[in-house]
Amino acid sequence: MIDVFTFLFTICMLSIVVNLGISLYGVLYKPSLIKKIISLTIFSDSANITAIIIGYVRWRNPGEIAPPVLLNPNPTLEDIEEFAKVAVDPLPQALVLTAIVIGLAVTLFLVFLTLQIYRFYGTTDVRRIAKLKG
Amino acid sequence: MVEASVIVLGIMALFALSSTIATYLAITERSLVKAVLYSAVQSTLYALIYYLLMAPDIVLVYVPVSVGLYPAIILMLIKKTEKEEEG
Repeated sequence: MIDVFTFLFTICMLSIVVNLGISLYGVLYKPSLIKKIISLTIFSDSANITAIIIGYVRWRNPGEIAPPVLLNPNPTLEDIEEFAKVAVDPLPQALVLTAIVIGLAVTLFLVFLTLQIYRFYGTTDVRRIAKLKG
Repeated sequence: MVEASVIVLGIMALFALSSTIATYLAITERSLVKAVLYSAVQSTLYALIYYLLMAPDIVLVYVPVSVGLYPAIILMLIKKTEKEEEG
């Protein structure tokens, strides 16, 4: 019999991978620069959620899982042991938190570039921009 | 008797499948405003998945950035440039 956990988890992972593929298609083959920016945000979000899913260590202790938050302000050794048993991996969460903020800055820069391209050339279609001379 | 964790994982799988549909609609949509709205729907579903994956701190950052700021910025860009994607 198929494990229900594994089946549902595989559905999640497959959906995220399909999202990565669709958004990569959007970045590479869509002619509009604005559509490329939208696809790029979806692509970075999907990559982030892949990292979070890898940090969700369900296989280590199925059943009890908690967010990586210490409730006791002055933790004893037993508290830290219990925390390490129950909590999910906090390292991917820290990385993703940074990546979201950096992605916001990169997107703002790309939006500015697209706006300047439209002001100079009057179009946001990459095929027409490629045909322009000078 | 179905366990609670199975129900949570089932809801997560449902959200992931819906986000795939939202992504497909966002990429194939010709009108750029509708594409931005679909991508906002996809971001909302991702925020719910983050919450179910035990990352509440990421939800607190992700919701204002990806559901609020990205669509606002891109809608401002669309307002200043083109509303429709060309063939």
